[in-house]
Amino acid sequence: MSEGQVGAEQRLVTPGMVIGPSTGKHAGSGAIAQNEEFIATRLGWLNEQNDVVSVRPINSAYMPRSGDLIVGVVAEVRNNLWFFDVNGPFQALLPMSLAPWKVEFGSTRQHLGIGDAALARVQEVDEAHNMVLTMKGIGLRRLNEGCVIAIPVNLIDTLRGENNSMVSRIRDLSDCRIIVADNGRVWVHGDADNMFTVRGLIQTLVDEGHMNNFENAVHALEQQRGEN
Amino acid sequence: MGGYGDVKLLRDDGKRLDGRTVDEMRPVSIEAGVLPAADGSAMVTHGLNVAVAAVYGPMEAHPRKIQRQDRAVIDVRYNMAPFSTGDRIRPGFNRRSREISKVTAEALESVVLVERYPRSKIRVEIEILAAEAGTRCVGLTAAAVALADAGIPMRDMIVGVASGKIEDTVVLDLDKAEDNYGQADLPVGILPNTGEIAFLQMDGDLSIEEFNLAMKYNFKAASEIHVLMVDALKRRYERGDN
Amino acid sequence: MVELVPTLLRQELERLAAENQRIDGRGQWDSRDVSLEVDCLYNAEGSAKVVWGDTIIYAGVKFEIRTPWPDRPTQGSLMCGAELRPVAHRKYEPGPPSPQSIELGRVVDRGIRESGCIDMEKLCIVPGEKVWGVMIDIHVLSDGGNIFDAAGLAAIAALRTAVVPAERFDVGEDHRLLVNGSPIMASFTRAGGRFVYDPSEEEELGGDERIHITLGDEGHLHSLQKGLRGVFTPSEFAEILAVAEQKCTKLREMVAEKEGN
Repeated sequence: MSEGQVGAEQRLVTPGMVIGPSTGKHAGSGAIAQNEEFIATRLGWLNEQNDVVSVRPINSAYMPRSGDLIVGVVAEVRNNLWFFDVNGPFQALLPMSLAPWKVEFGSTRQHLGIGDAALARVQEVDEAHNMVLTMKGIGLRRLNEGCVIAIPVNLIDTLRGENNSMVSRIRDLSDCRIIVADNGRVWVHGDADNMFTVRGLIQTLVDEGHMNNFENAVHALEQQRGEN
Repeated sequence: MGGYGDVKLLRDDGKRLDGRTVDEMRPVSIEAGVLPAADGSAMVTHGLNVAVAAVYGPMEAHPRKIQRQDRAVIDVRYNMAPFSTGDRIRPGFNRRSREISKVTAEALESVVLVERYPRSKIRVEIEILAAEAGTRCVGLTAAAVALADAGIPMRDMIVGVASGKIEDTVVLDLDKAEDNYGQADLPVGILPNTGEIAFLQMDGDLSIEEFNLAMKYNFKAASEIHVLMVDALKRRYERGDN
Repeated sequence: MVELVPTLLRQELERLAAENQRIDGRGQWDSRDVSLEVDCLYNAEGSAKVVWGDTIIYAGVKFEIRTPWPDRPTQGSLMCGAELRPVAHRKYEPGPPSPQSIELGRVVDRGIRESGCIDMEKLCIVPGEKVWGVMIDIHVLSDGGNIFDAAGLAAIAALRTAVVPAERFDVGEDHRLLVNGSPIMASFTRAGGRFVYDPSEEEELGGDERIHITLGDEGHLHSLQKGLRGVFTPSEFAEILAVAEQKCTKLREMVAEKEGN
């Protein structure tokens, strides 16, 4: 995504701003049609593709969708289920039947306790934000080591890059295991110095990601590593 | 309105005590994204007023009884810091701040696309650090910028502005003396794109003609402040390299 | 609201401590960047803004004239309060002052009061009848960790630049408030098993007990506070006390510099 924008004229819009005439086009997310005109509803970058006018928000809360890969932290445990904090407005429920282990009623705490992190998928989310997770699936597991770094959800695509190219480059240059979850949490595991490298890059992304400095930082580090 | 008729607020040249013309507002500056802990924030300096707003959420609405099944609620707290006024204010909610919080929340609910977030609440915290008349308007402007900064979808911004009457003359943006000794105050919240009004209060004495003139001044000021709001949001995010 | 403490954060802090590192790359006794601004608010007789890492705090000083206590007819009074309002963090909820707010206000209050930097006798206007009441209010706008040190710094800087509004109360001419000395606070949190100076938000969340030390100009102790669950040894205390001395001296210089302006 970020590659496509290099050099392109970026237009920042604010809520209520008239984007242009609505004839023959459709309003995508972050835009509404009003009196033959499109109005931005969010602060973000204007985007027009295939007659759909939308706004790519600069900042937004995590809104879960089914199929999302998330890093959750256990907030509450009952005898037959867990409640996870998933960085969204509402907690998500993991029933014992969707855990990756054979769990006896009442023994949920032996598998995941309060504060523990897990990699899970959103199984289902309804309009009222009721949300069910599953941990049945390849790679879904309890996260026993490493650390979790929070990033704004709108920066996820930039961190991943086209076809995950960016995160692969960071993996290569840091030798860390990295999972960029859809809920704005990045799990990183490696030795201490390498984790600092990843932290530093992510910090650059968070602080200056909207200015392409992140990509430059990754590139600079690759050059540096190449010389050594 | 104090309504002390004997205090002179207009000079012989027709200008106001601080040298402003009748339709001139105090200097305004706006900065977005000032509080690292908040999801969105803004600081507005308007004359000597300083207002800071923070936005948190959307988050699950607690307590349950405030939850709406079909939309988000906007939970506003307007608060004056103890040192923001001439005499220290005892900390805590009072009747005035409760009323302002209520009408501010309702004004913001008129522009935020609340139906996107059922059962949620969006917390808006407005802190007045220095008060020099017109704090509810300055707070409303700060709240609107903070909401936009937090990425909350809105169909328009809101600009808080006020006009009033001193010495039988309608003037824009009352300062402290004018507020204390003037005859009327008309604070409004204007949607800059649609020209609609989401916030309206008034006290004092205004004829219909005076009201119309005061509103004309308010609309003029709102478009001036809106430019600064947009600029503040852009400054925070504009790309450095294109 | 009780914050959720992630297991991985605690593990990470332990691992970093073992390698003598911190999450943000600082050394064990390093501070984040601190900036101080004084006389920044209209209406407050003294004011200061401290930006300490991601923490932002304002302090404002107001004066009132009151009747002295009968047993101390020639002494004015000093009060320092703090409010952890919900503006400052997602975790703070509206309502009456929380125990955390009260603790913060009282710890800062003790440091200033016990250092004797304000001579209560000098706050007397008419013995037995009129004395000045000095009120410092601490307003936390953003809690990014270590609000105690930031609050203490804002409070003393606001006091040292405050002007007594005597004219407004018709009791003489306005004058600078007399403040003899600058009590300064240094705070330490146990993160990953060892103490660190100036804890960040993450270190506070995943850490244990904290210790606040307020030192006067002569290096004397004026207020101590141990907060949160945990225990420490006398030798650990001796070590952080030595660090506190250096940190407080540096911050005291920063306050003096701002006063000059």
